[in-house]
Amino acid sequence: MQRTFTALLVAAMTALVAQPTAAHHSFAAEFDANSPIELTGTVTKVEWANPHTFFYIDVTTPKGDVEAWALEMGSPNGLMRRGWTRDSMKIGDVVTVTGSRAKNGTTLGNARSVTLSTGKRLFAGSSEENAESN
Amino acid sequence: MRNTTLLAHAIALTTLVSSGSVYGQRAAAAAEPALTPRLADGTVDLGGDGIWDQPWITDFGRQLVGDTEIPFLPWTKAMYDYNKSNAVAYDPQGFCLPPGGPRMFGTPYPSEFIQDRNRIVVIFEGGAHVWREIHMDGRPLPKREDLNPTYFGYSVGRWEGDTLVVEATGFNEKTWLNFNGTMHTDELTTVERISRPNRDTLHYEATITDPGAYSKPWTIAWDIPWLEGAELAEYICQENNKFLLELKDEFGNPFFEDVPTDKP
Repeated sequence: MQRTFTALLVAAMTALVAQPTAAHHSFAAEFDANSPIELTGTVTKVEWANPHTFFYIDVTTPKGDVEAWALEMGSPNGLMRRGWTRDSMKIGDVVTVTGSRAKNGTTLGNARSVTLSTGKRLFAGSSEENAESN
Repeated sequence: MRNTTLLAHAIALTTLVSSGSVYGQRAAAAAEPALTPRLADGTVDLGGDGIWDQPWITDFGRQLVGDTEIPFLPWTKAMYDYNKSNAVAYDPQGFCLPPGGPRMFGTPYPSEFIQDRNRIVVIFEGGAHVWREIHMDGRPLPKREDLNPTYFGYSVGRWEGDTLVVEATGFNEKTWLNFNGTMHTDELTTVERISRPNRDTLHYEATITDPGAYSKPWTIAWDIPWLEGAELAEYICQENNKFLLELKDEFGNPFFEDVPTDKP
């Protein structure tokens, strides 16, 4: 019983292993790790491409304005290993994104995780160090 | 009491494993690692049903063997400091150019070794979608001056017991030696020692000799874990490099003019 439990535990944890993400360009050159963002918005576009997948969401501010945000994720090969497919997000889906804002303060961010409209939360293959520590 | 201890270990192990550390992966993979696989003639098999899960090595200074510091010359130290000051914005790898040299083995994504009759070809998913050929037919390493300088250089290899020893020269100056802005010249030569002490570990070691950039040779090393059952994917960096299209130099001039992107 103990052995079975341990075997299952080891198998489950092996499945959780996060492979390294290529920093094709430096995270710190563009994004500010000290400027965290958490946004909920409606997906307007998904660019499933290398070296970074981008998706765009409309976020309604407390004042009622709509802000258009661009979010950068990792590349498709890295995303697939984290449970994504190119259809995981569709136009019109409401998603929640955590990550870091661009250094230039615009509505551009580097996504660390995305909670999909299904409720499933996936890591976004961010090149920020320790992006997947929680 | 036993359940609490098991839970504590599970939490610790999960933290280790999900942090992506090499040690966490190895701990999770097997209590006792499988033996080094071999080809029919006894040569170490660097392949198998899996891929090498290359780690992201950002700082060669943390991978030193035998030294405590990288033996910079004044200009390479100055370049290192300058590159750090702009968060390595001008890394050629950000231009989707291949890293070449030891950095290639410290660049995600995974790789495979294909051992042919008289050569070994390493195929890399990252860097991007590039390969490197190691001649194993006993030919001598050519003189650097006779070679056209290239990103990956020219490599010849031989087995010394169970260690693959690879000598390379003929590197161009279009790459950075390391992610964090450590430079090199075309005088660079490397000697790499690659071994597979058990199925799940590739031990990678490289001695860097570049009198144009460093005051003496220096050696770096790291382990690369095996991912049994996994396969390479495709990564074509050049496809949609928005970062590059918007990159500006230190004077605010864009590298590319009038490029429309969707970024705000």
